[in-house]
Amino acid sequence: MALRELSSLEKFLGLKKPHKYSTQGVKKVPLLQSNNGPALVGLATIASHLAKEAKKPELLGTTPEQRAVVQQWLEFRVTRIDECPREEIRTVLKDLNQYLEDKVYLAGNSLSIADPLLYYAIHHIVVDLAVQEKERYMNLTRWFDHIQHYPGVRHHLAPVVVLRNRVYTSCHH
Amino acid sequence: MKLFVSEGNPHCIKVLAVLELTGVKCDIENVNHEEKVVPFLSRPVLPVLLLPSGQHLFSSNAICQYFFEIGGKAPADASTQWLEWEATELQPILGHALQMLVLQGKSAEAAKALEDPMNFLEQNLSKRTSSFLTSDTVAVEDIVLWAALFPLYLEPSLRPAELTSVFTWFERVGALPACQSAAQRVLQGRGQAALKGFLQKQPVITLRRDTPPCN
Repeated sequence: MALRELSSLEKFLGLKKPHKYSTQGVKKVPLLQSNNGPALVGLATIASHLAKEAKKPELLGTTPEQRAVVQQWLEFRVTRIDECPREEIRTVLKDLNQYLEDKVYLAGNSLSIADPLLYYAIHHIVVDLAVQEKERYMNLTRWFDHIQHYPGVRHHLAPVVVLRNRVYTSCHH
Repeated sequence: MKLFVSEGNPHCIKVLAVLELTGVKCDIENVNHEEKVVPFLSRPVLPVLLLPSGQHLFSSNAICQYFFEIGGKAPADASTQWLEWEATELQPILGHALQMLVLQGKSAEAAKALEDPMNFLEQNLSKRTSSFLTSDTVAVEDIVLWAALFPLYLEPSLRPAELTSVFTWFERVGALPACQSAAQRVLQGRGQAALKGFLQKQPVITLRRDTPPCN
């Protein structure tokens, strides 16, 4: 799964030549061989490296504060979501929903690589949410819909139909 | 900018050590383990850094990276990779080992759980040519890993003699005054017993089996 997502991320970043990845260990941690130096291991590490390679360092944040926030959400993705026991997933969604209440993107007002990486990670969860649940996690769903329609992000994943904003649904009659 | 920490919380050692080492100016507030500092998180988490923008950093490694960066050192790919390894591979095992050791007194089980990550660290450290993990000056990954291991390394039986490279590196980092005062501040000279209150409030950590799941 991580490998397909890295390939989608490469396309999103506009990297022309695809990299070759392998995985290691039981958890299938992605590994990127490099010509000039030791291999890079770990999804967050490789994703950060790809953004630099694509000369898009702004996707890692433009200030030290933003860079720390981006790193935090990358870590959240690989520790809290990838390792999340089934019974805890609702808590994670609730927390994310609360966090996104007043935000357009995870790191504030501009897209960072944490957005596609979190989107890839929760896609399979959001697909299975019932209508009422999508409504309960409305900020998260709004963010999700925004990211899946962001140019170049979606690639290997199917679009998920989310609810229209309440403001629009009330205009239907 | 304000850093929230609590006594007896092992994750606070790394951020306090990095704060002192980098000389970054920041207020520190001691709070209770159960204090909900980050408004959007259901479960209380510490340490937390309240940034000048009003955002909260609740990942201790992100806080350490931030202090290093505003102190003048941007992280390299190699640093990021060690921090990711610490968060994804080492922390779950350390959490489990600390519960075994401090709450249940099972040091042999703690030692068993630690074998794989410690051998991995030993392999990497024995191959390096620098004084620290990735360079000749102490960097964020050294403090983060040292602080993570520190509470367990207080127990002599968890320091296998054959891991010589780990031991030399561990002593070198631990000799820094910033590390010593951070450990003192969190453990209050009470050793691992100081962590009891914190560990009792954590969910029980069970480790994933090392066999691949069957289909």
